[in-house]
Amino acid sequence: MRSIEEKRRSGIWIWQAVTGVLLVILLSLHMIVHHFVVEGGLRTYEQVLAYIGNPLVVVIEIVFLIVVTFHAMLGVRAILFDLPLTERQKTLVTRALTAVGLVVGAWGIFLALWLFRMARMA
Amino acid sequence: MAVPIQHKSPAARAVQAWFNPLKRSAGFLAFVLMRITGIGLVVYLLIHMVVIGNLLRGPAGWDSLIQTMKSPWVLALDVVLIAGILIHMLNGLRVTIIGLGFGTQSHKGIFWTLMAVAVLLLAYSAWLVFTK
Repeated sequence: MRSIEEKRRSGIWIWQAVTGVLLVILLSLHMIVHHFVVEGGLRTYEQVLAYIGNPLVVVIEIVFLIVVTFHAMLGVRAILFDLPLTERQKTLVTRALTAVGLVVGAWGIFLALWLFRMARMA
Repeated sequence: MAVPIQHKSPAARAVQAWFNPLKRSAGFLAFVLMRITGIGLVVYLLIHMVVIGNLLRGPAGWDSLIQTMKSPWVLALDVVLIAGILIHMLNGLRVTIIGLGFGTQSHKGIFWTLMAVAVLLLAYSAWLVFTK
């Protein structure tokens, strides 16, 4: 029978794999749209607004942000958990990474919605 | 003077093992590449989130930043970023496929094939970055 720790690790591995596969699609889309389609490789302010004014784009960008942040924080956690940490240190690491993930996610969502609002007003 | 490995903390020894040239198996190389590119990409993500905050400053703040981003040195860093993404992404797919129980017998071949694909995609991406 598998221990609780093994079940937890396997659950985290599945999340890491699922978000990783999603990122292959979302990141490829993000890189192509932002860096390879526009002449000169990067969007000007006006081009950013024109792009993000589409509600579907905002949703895709927010989903991408959540998935990439979740995947990144799980990855850092996995690396740190390979080090010889005590249970207390592991709890602190998990809490700190959750906080970083929430701050990054909140900031990115605020930025996307603010730009969407600016695009609609323009 | 370099500190002998046995006098270092367990955490330092674990990290130092990533760079041990004696551990040269494909599996170990894949593991080390995955970790190094992963850490690099997390650092990039955090920097990227701060940089795109310049959009709040409007066209004056953003468009001047974009001009800086088009300098050859920054474009070269873009190519390094794409290399990290390709290695991490393709290696991650390999780990997922093998974790699901497929191709376990030929994991070394899969690793080297995917790294060859990464090199080809990187060459094409670098060409796009510097010519478009």
